[in-house]
Amino acid sequence: MSTEIFQKIAETNTWSWIAPELAMGVLALSLLVLEVILPKVAHGAIPRIAILGQLVILGYVVTGTCAGTFPAGEAFGGMLYFDGTGQLFRVFFLGASIFVSYLGMVSLDKRLLPQVEYFHILLVITAALMLLAQANHFVMLFVALETATVGFYILVSYFRHTTVSLEAGLKYLIMGALSSTILLFGIVLLYGAGSNPALAGSSQDSLNFGNLAGFLAANPDDTLGLIGMILVISGVAFKIGAFPFQIWIPDVYQGAPLPTTALLAVSSKAAGFAMLLSLSKVFSALGDWFYPLLSALAVLTILFGNFAALTQRNLKRVIGLSGVSHAGFLLIGVIAARTVDWASTAILFYLFAYLLASAAVFSVLVHLNKDDDSDLTLDDLGDLAKKNGFLGLGLAVGVGSLAGIPPLAGFIGKLLIFIAAFKAELYGLLGVAIVGVVVSIYYYFGILKSAFFDVWQFQADEEEAPTAIPGSALGFLGKLAIVIAIAGTLLLGFYQSPFSSWLVG
Amino acid sequence: MTDIFFYIFATAALAGALGVVFSRNTVNGAMCLIGTFLSMASLFVLLEAYFLAVIQVLVYAGAVMVLFLFIIMLLDVKESAAKKTSIYTWAASLIGFGILVTGVVAISASESIKNKAPTMPEASGTSLKAFGYELFTTYLLPMQVTGFLLLIAMIGVIVLSKKVNTE
Repeated sequence: MSTEIFQKIAETNTWSWIAPELAMGVLALSLLVLEVILPKVAHGAIPRIAILGQLVILGYVVTGTCAGTFPAGEAFGGMLYFDGTGQLFRVFFLGASIFVSYLGMVSLDKRLLPQVEYFHILLVITAALMLLAQANHFVMLFVALETATVGFYILVSYFRHTTVSLEAGLKYLIMGALSSTILLFGIVLLYGAGSNPALAGSSQDSLNFGNLAGFLAANPDDTLGLIGMILVISGVAFKIGAFPFQIWIPDVYQGAPLPTTALLAVSSKAAGFAMLLSLSKVFSALGDWFYPLLSALAVLTILFGNFAALTQRNLKRVIGLSGVSHAGFLLIGVIAARTVDWASTAILFYLFAYLLASAAVFSVLVHLNKDDDSDLTLDDLGDLAKKNGFLGLGLAVGVGSLAGIPPLAGFIGKLLIFIAAFKAELYGLLGVAIVGVVVSIYYYFGILKSAFFDVWQFQADEEEAPTAIPGSALGFLGKLAIVIAIAGTLLLGFYQSPFSSWLVG
Repeated sequence: MTDIFFYIFATAALAGALGVVFSRNTVNGAMCLIGTFLSMASLFVLLEAYFLAVIQVLVYAGAVMVLFLFIIMLLDVKESAAKKTSIYTWAASLIGFGILVTGVVAISASESIKNKAPTMPEASGTSLKAFGYELFTTYLLPMQVTGFLLLIAMIGVIVLSKKVNTE
């Protein structure tokens, strides 16, 4: 082995290109160090330092994205591929992480639990997801995905003094391990198929996305490749909670601590779509199998998510199942991206709208005065708007945006996906999606109804329902978080020019 | 000669696997699993993947199985009584077996298995030196990320098992 090859490989290890991820890792480590160094009274500052540090990194990434100074192309010997989509996903995951940090700060303050570790693990998960969105090699993809998933196992069971959190953690661990196995088996089959030197287009490094796409284009009816593709898609479908792989969602969302539920709903789902977008390029040669498979998943997911959410009374379960239906709408976007170029931008827009709407809903829910947030039901919202109008407004904007009410961002997100589907001539899927939207209005307005109108109660019950929310308990940060979420939702609803410039281009 | 060894070790691996499934005593089951792992390691040796064979013995037959046995001892699992298999279990096993058979037939009938290369190139993970080179050059970034994975796994175990602070 000559050293020149290694020199060449070492040259592509351009660490400066992943500066945001490195900064997240360093910040995560320094949180642990700070806990050792700082005196006990100052420990309350550590979550604030975490949020501040992430804001600085977010500022760096956003200015770099706007100025277009970030490099593009392959790095680390083909492990990573940098492009505009990856940049937007970086911004997305950072934003989601800051908002979950805020939720964690509020939620953990009420409990006697170790605090710093939560933020440490959260930052590592986010860094891993940022790498995942830019992965260009199955080894990188799997390692980044596992890092994030292991972190999720811990964060789901973080409230270990409650059985329901532990149960959710165990369920997520078993289901997550199963899905990782399926994904890994698919990857191994693709590796085996792609590195067979007897076939055209095979290569030594067949786990690289580019090489694999080349191999599949040369052998589009290779059985091993086909089975590998189906298994990989099944593994990814677990992450986004698409229909046959959605069974874990209600239980895990309900049992997980509220900040973790938000992280699962937003970041984990977006990570699945980041993977799906890059994988759809790899599997484009298998399009005759890949897209029908996704279409079937999308139809079942939309129908299941919406109809299952109808009967739920538990708030976190409703949000989880509505998240399943959102995954279905986004899947339509992925299918439309086959023929319509700007559909992937529409997916990103939808994800950002979903992030802001979830931010509004979860920052309201975190203030509901209840010890155990796993059994928040619609009744707990009773008269929320009367008791605290500001929280009511936040909930209304968030839920309205999730439901897709104009002029909020969620409406534009759905509209863009539907236009893309129409242009791609996916009329059947479009019909199912519209049925799904109509059904979803029912349960979203169920949430609003219980928040804005009197709930009929027995006289005796009223004494046992101390769910009053004092307005003063919100604090400055609490108000700021909700204001930002509302403002962002309205802004994206009226002003889409940063996205539409990509739509045209 | 190699063929004979292959059949011996393949049979041993299968026998061990069946032992895991059918043994009522969990400790015996774990021992059968070790047998399977060792036979798999021997198969790797036959394929000249010596490094994989060593890893298989060290990590799986050694570390992982010791952990298994510890947990079995700690939980003090009794011999499970024979349970009546429900019709769903039968149906599920039949469907699973059918899918497995279909998969094996489909793969072995496919072109990618039949088209054997005249000479197989040496895989990069077989020898220790080549493996190390690859790990610290091409796969440097995934390896560093794995470091973070182990770190959060460790911290997670501490957080989840530490005594609850009830001040």
